Amino acid sequence: MANPMIEVRHLKKYFNTPKGTLHAVDDISFKIEKGKTMGVVGESGCGKSTLGRTIIHLLESTDGQIFLDGKDITHVDKHQMHEINERMQIVFQDPYSSLNPRQTVEDVIREPLKLSKRYKTRAEIDQKTDELMKLVGIDERLRHAYPHELDGGRRQRVGIARALSLNPDFIVCDEPVSALDVSIQAQVLNLLQDLQEKQGLTYMFVTHDLSVVRHISDDICVMYLGQLVETSPAKELFIKPLHPYTKALLSAIPSTDIDHPHERIKLQGEITSPVDPKPGCRFAARCPYAAEACRQPQQLEEILPDHYISCCRARELNKDIL
Amino acid sequence: MANKDVLLSVKDLTVEYTSEGEVIHAVNHVSFELEKGKTIGLVGETGAGKTSIARAILRILPEPPARVPGGEIEFEGKDLLKVSEADMQKIRGKEISMIFQDPMTALNPIMRVGEQIAEVIKLHEHCSRQESIEKAKKMLEMVGIPGERFYEYPHQFSGGMKQRVVIAMALACSPTLLLADEPTTALDVTIQAQVLDMINDLKRKLNTSMIMITHDLGIVAEVCDTVAVIYAGEIMEYGTREQIFHDPRYPYTIGLFGSLPDLNSDVERLSPIEGLPPNPADLPRGCAFHPRCPYAGEECRKEHIELKDIGGGHLCRCCRLNEIAAGKAKEV
Repeated sequence: MANPMIEVRHLKKYFNTPKGTLHAVDDISFKIEKGKTMGVVGESGCGKSTLGRTIIHLLESTDGQIFLDGKDITHVDKHQMHEINERMQIVFQDPYSSLNPRQTVEDVIREPLKLSKRYKTRAEIDQKTDELMKLVGIDERLRHAYPHELDGGRRQRVGIARALSLNPDFIVCDEPVSALDVSIQAQVLNLLQDLQEKQGLTYMFVTHDLSVVRHISDDICVMYLGQLVETSPAKELFIKPLHPYTKALLSAIPSTDIDHPHERIKLQGEITSPVDPKPGCRFAARCPYAAEACRQPQQLEEILPDHYISCCRARELNKDIL
Repeated sequence: MANKDVLLSVKDLTVEYTSEGEVIHAVNHVSFELEKGKTIGLVGETGAGKTSIARAILRILPEPPARVPGGEIEFEGKDLLKVSEADMQKIRGKEISMIFQDPMTALNPIMRVGEQIAEVIKLHEHCSRQESIEKAKKMLEMVGIPGERFYEYPHQFSGGMKQRVVIAMALACSPTLLLADEPTTALDVTIQAQVLDMINDLKRKLNTSMIMITHDLGIVAEVCDTVAVIYAGEIMEYGTREQIFHDPRYPYTIGLFGSLPDLNSDVERLSPIEGLPPNPADLPRGCAFHPRCPYAGEECRKEHIELKDIGGGHLCRCCRLNEIAAGKAKEV
């Protein structure tokens, strides 16, 4: 990858809890190329949102490095922070709680414009606000509406306009369509794709919805309990999943293809605790193929071109497709 | 449909809510039948009236503001809308039970989970406390939770386990009809798969009929025998699973399929349904879907459209099927 917009190396984010240290993001490395979309999937509690928030400095990283456009931004002062905030933005999951109920649509979108030093006069700010509303498809008549007057899809458009207001390079989309009905979800997904094309945006798309992630991503990372278990080009992941967890995850999606029901890999038990985890593969407790070697720490290994997995039994289990 | 073994027959069911002087038409003249041991899926978006239908059947609508001005709900020879509240209490939880959407709020946080299941059993089966505890433990084990966790509280359980407790509670008295209102929406996919498998197994074992309320077409494909597509409180299309998935005819149903990213094929852009669902306090004249429908014509705006059989029991509420078929042909 010649020109990554975002790169993280051995990124860690731990939280101290009364029960011990919670390893929310544990030693994750990847790159996202300019203008591309990296999908991050996993079940609730796997650390995917924490990962996004740590990259854009909403949370302070515990260890590791973060690069934006080739520049190390892991530790920055207040002034540089300002610049980072303009270049990296986030669209939150819940359009019901991520907008201030006492701000109108216009207020929400203008706030970043006012804080930035780029726009000097009120007329400039007004003009930019108009542009943004048009860009995300919010009617002019809703300019003075409050969030409670809008439906979920429109609220999410406001959230997107706010994220776009300072022409960022990189946007973390944290489950941006999970709270929306399917027909509205499709509208918002199309909008995000159009914006990416027009403005050359780089996305990190965090979601638990696998069909959405396949649709929108160029590459996908699969996370389990704070660790990266598999990363691959999006289409390939669905054709050739290699990690036992990815396979189980994919087989669990209810399919609308009623003629070809697929075999489901049944996982026993539930996600275990990420507090003070033991070394070794964290999925081993639920993995049908767990062996003695799985108790050792696992290495992320490139098994096919651009297709990495962290499973010591990968080669042996995937003999027939490799 | 005369000689089928019909368990539940809903006729012309209407539900209204009154809010600040406005009448909200949540459910409009809905009719369907459900056979013993079968599952019907009610599919539609938020606010389409799916949950109101289920709550009307169980008579747990908040009245007021809700009101059921008309219709019949025939269940094993009785019209549920006419039976006394005392009789209804005997039916609820015993013959008909419901799995609620959100397991976090469906359980009493200050009552041990086992007690919540035992309570249902004791009430309906008039057995001793000891027997009800024994049976509740068995139910927990049936849904894959060790019996010794009987004495724990809901906060000690994960989301998936709480939902299994809710399911155990719903199935405790082997109901003949199960209303499942988005039972897996709050769960992760791997846990969702476990729960769906479990519901399917139990249904087979107990020959329970089920109404599955969901917005997820994948779930419909996995568990339902027949499907009713609900829009603005009306059934717009009804058919067997095969009829709906192989040959969707109603423009909204077609739109729903177009809005879904497909796991098996590559589409660059999704084709969403433009616009928003109508305001149920002010439904459009004619077909409720016409403002969003790409095929809408003059007649769609004029008068109410009837549900018509378009072959083999496949019902569709649309007067422009020929135009749509022609439009389809054009796209190909």
